[in-house]
Amino acid sequence: MLKKFFANGVRTRFIGTIACGWFLLLAADRVDPLRVYQGGIVAIYVIAIASVILLTGYSGQVSLGQGAFMAIGGFSAALSSKYWHLPFFLTLIVAVLAGALAGALLGGGAARLSGPYLAGITLALAIGLPNLANQFSFLGGEQGLDYSVGDPPLRFGMDFTTDKWFFWITGLAALITLWWTQNILMSRYGRTWRALRSNPAAAQLAGIHVGRVKVLAFTLSAGLAGLAGALLSMTLFYALPSAFPLSLSFALVTGAVLAGVTHLLGSMLGAIVLVAIPAYAELLANKLGGAERVIANLPGLMISTLLILAVLFTPNGPGEQWRTFKEKKGKKDRQTR
Amino acid sequence: MIGSHRKKQFMLASAALAVSGLALSALPAQALNVRQEVGVTATTIKLGITVPVTGIAAPGYNKVAPAMKAYFDYVNANGGVYGRKISLVVKDDGYIPTLAVAKTKELLLKDKVFAVVGALGTATHKAVSRSVNLGRQGIPDLFVNTGYSGFGVKKDYPTTFALLPSYIMEAKIMSSYIKENFSTKKIGIIVQDDDFGDDAIAGFGQAGLTFDSTIPYASGSQSAAKAAEWVTKLKKDGITNGDVVILFGVTTATAAALAVAGAYGFKPQWILGSVGGDATTIKAATAVPAAVLNGAIGASFLPAPTDTSDEYIKFFQGINTTYNHAVTFDNNVLVGMNSAMMIVQALRAAGQNPTRKGLITALETKGSTFASAGLAPLGYSAKSHVGYTGYWFGKYNLAGELKPVDNAYVVYTTDSGTGQVVKSTYKRPALPTNGLPSNS
Amino acid sequence: MLAFISTLLIGITVGAIYSLMALSLVLVWRSTRVINFAQAGQAIFSTYVAYEVIQRTGNFILGMAAAVVVGALLGALVEVLLMRTLFKRIHSGAVAAVAPVIATLGLLGVIRASVGLIWGNDGHRFDAPVSTQAFSMGNTVIPFSRFNLLVIATAALVMIVFTVIFQKTSLGLSLRASAFAPEIARLSGIRVGSIRTIGWAFAGATGAVAGVLISPNDSLTPNSLDLLLIFGFVSAVIGGLDSLIGAVVGGLVLGIGKALILAYLGSSLDYPTAFVVLAIVLIVRPGGIFSMKRGRNA
Repeated sequence: MLKKFFANGVRTRFIGTIACGWFLLLAADRVDPLRVYQGGIVAIYVIAIASVILLTGYSGQVSLGQGAFMAIGGFSAALSSKYWHLPFFLTLIVAVLAGALAGALLGGGAARLSGPYLAGITLALAIGLPNLANQFSFLGGEQGLDYSVGDPPLRFGMDFTTDKWFFWITGLAALITLWWTQNILMSRYGRTWRALRSNPAAAQLAGIHVGRVKVLAFTLSAGLAGLAGALLSMTLFYALPSAFPLSLSFALVTGAVLAGVTHLLGSMLGAIVLVAIPAYAELLANKLGGAERVIANLPGLMISTLLILAVLFTPNGPGEQWRTFKEKKGKKDRQTR
Repeated sequence: MIGSHRKKQFMLASAALAVSGLALSALPAQALNVRQEVGVTATTIKLGITVPVTGIAAPGYNKVAPAMKAYFDYVNANGGVYGRKISLVVKDDGYIPTLAVAKTKELLLKDKVFAVVGALGTATHKAVSRSVNLGRQGIPDLFVNTGYSGFGVKKDYPTTFALLPSYIMEAKIMSSYIKENFSTKKIGIIVQDDDFGDDAIAGFGQAGLTFDSTIPYASGSQSAAKAAEWVTKLKKDGITNGDVVILFGVTTATAAALAVAGAYGFKPQWILGSVGGDATTIKAATAVPAAVLNGAIGASFLPAPTDTSDEYIKFFQGINTTYNHAVTFDNNVLVGMNSAMMIVQALRAAGQNPTRKGLITALETKGSTFASAGLAPLGYSAKSHVGYTGYWFGKYNLAGELKPVDNAYVVYTTDSGTGQVVKSTYKRPALPTNGLPSNS
Repeated sequence: MLAFISTLLIGITVGAIYSLMALSLVLVWRSTRVINFAQAGQAIFSTYVAYEVIQRTGNFILGMAAAVVVGALLGALVEVLLMRTLFKRIHSGAVAAVAPVIATLGLLGVIRASVGLIWGNDGHRFDAPVSTQAFSMGNTVIPFSRFNLLVIATAALVMIVFTVIFQKTSLGLSLRASAFAPEIARLSGIRVGSIRTIGWAFAGATGAVAGVLISPNDSLTPNSLDLLLIFGFVSAVIGGLDSLIGAVVGGLVLGIGKALILAYLGSSLDYPTAFVVLAIVLIVRPGGIFSMKRGRNA
């Protein structure tokens, strides 16, 4: 019975993924080019935020260093392309593996750490790691390493832009990521993570090896971050240390919280918010006008204020808010009946 | 069981996506009718710039865009360019490549600017140039203000115009200066062991300058301990106080060498290359005491921002007072206003109905005659997009300002090839009447 | 040898300032179990106030005093307005671990932008009250100045004040009690809420001192304390987040470690050092150097 339902779930998610992909494909040809480019960035954020949600929302570990794993992904992809001349698709696999390996190492070492200590060590990683590129010349220094997917295939036509090509690649990667992560979360591993999250002691009593489960989550999450990092480098044509600042790591956690940190599909909302809100804030600031320093600082002020309000009023994301609202309403309906 | 199931699903998904993609891309492309050039209307010309307005890199760099705007405001108040007012759209990139690319795309696709101007940051702008594909799209990229002279190579960056001389030129010029002023001294050099250093060594070699002590260092290996080794090696090779040591490396290497030598009481005549020699960066990025920098020789192509006897400086300071809230007039403000003045001339040179292509051609044919505060000639031609082709040398004072020796600018000029280094006889065009270019 | 000693001295100076920032983070952590990323914001605001006062009066000590008062008030205000609301609304779930991080990061953004609005994003500068010129012995220059000495002395003074408060006063007893056994403290008549606010005020004042001490060597911008926050946090984790002594030791360990790496290995290893030092400490002691057994969990 359960097995059948499970299989059904897989099928539903699969069909959903395909439908999503179809919609995006149609959309890509019908919106203006800037939106296509932004769509690509959104897709990259979706992957990166999914990696945070997997880690924080499901296995309960807080990492402030996802940007570092993205850097590892970006640089390993660029290195494998430069020195091994791997085809682009394989460099993405290398990025995932390198990210996952780094995640396994750090996660293994950090499995005994409690919340703020883990946050501390990941933060230190995020600030330290990109600087290694300046230390070792094979990493290209500040100028970074060339990394490019090349021109879009000619059979797509002459007016098939690079941005559209990026959007296809990142969109496909994001869809596969979401679909795969959904399946993982619905699997045995996902159930152990949720058990661990809601009651560590009970989970341990039920025979769950806490350390191993946490390390697994860290590994998978870092692998996804690695993929996102490689894709981000692709859009820049270089793996650059300055593309992975601490603010990126913070932004990802922010996106995850805004989306509702326990809702995987929320990553899409979080990603859109990360791209859209700063643009609108800048637009609004320019509309309001005023002195130079006002226009410069108003967007930051608005974004940060919104952030605080969002955490205070919808800490579990709008999805959760909607659900509790409906539940309350349902209860009321039943009571009145 | 589940594995094969998933595999099948994955195959299916990919196939479906690929097929649908092919189907959609087979649709006819929308034809773009270009009636008027992007960013140009009957009354306005829209330009765009991305700079760090907030964040860690903002101090200093955030003064460039307002300075440009101030000069444009002045020009607009006096009739604009052939009646069109120049508007400059400023976007904050926080010095982060991802943001710089995103904001440049916004400038081009949403704000629909005519050209991008005043780019900063080598790594950032390399990413921007390739992601946006400025070259293939024919978007003018004027007066890139970074230390990377590759931006002046037309083959790689066909629509980009650099501001700074190339490293080879710098090395050749430096050689001449040393031969003239320090012919009896021993000469040492600390140079970065990569493309950038190789260019410099080639330039020094071409100019026939030989070194009594050459210290190549691997990029990134610079540190205080390394610097102590450098100083030891220099002393062993017979370089003593008063001899010449050239620092042709990145800022951190320059800073490490200066600091350690200072602590060891080793006082040669330092000559700083332009990349690692920017006093503002040295002071901001490191803990080098001003006293160590004092007396070091550096190079520049603009007059000192404090030199009010210079007609351009005096004029720009006036603009700064009236249109720029009288901020501290430093090199960043000067570079901004100077670039803006060059942009106005480029726009005028492109004619009554400017096109992107026309702007680039105008710069290639007439760019070298533009009036600017620069004391070295501009090298723009159909072959080269290198901007200033020379330097004058000066000494840093205790405040970290570069001042010409004996208050006279002696400018040396050359090319990137085998051309001679000559003391420039270049007569800078006089400041246009009221600072308003009237070229065509 | 002299080079080594001067490296140590530089490390201690830097470490002393890290210690102060770490102290302020630990004070907050002990009182509310929150890592306060806004501390960099509170400190930068206080430092700008100091800058303003020094600019007007020319008196460094007056500036420092103003910064301390403003820092304390701001700390208390943040606790009362933001933290209490936050904890009223969020008690449990995965989000409880990250919500304070986001809220304080948001506050950091708000304060930074406000500072930019008021004072602009350009660098400001104020001078140290004593000479920053390096000492020299004969022909050798030791890159250590009177001001470095003042920094170390001030940091030491702050630490002595806290030791006295925590060990000798009833306020200190209340602070300690509500940090480690809030329920018992409440039952024994301690007003835990007010004590928390006082903890935040102390933290704000300490962060302000750190900000004012680090700024004369640098230019003051809305972002100029960001790195201090990061390294202060790493220091606090090295020491063990619950321990005030740990914060001081952690700061010194990191400061000296970084100075040594900078002197002997390379400038671009400066930041990675923080990770390596922290990793070594946490492998040996997962709860920091001065961790207590009960502080750990799986």
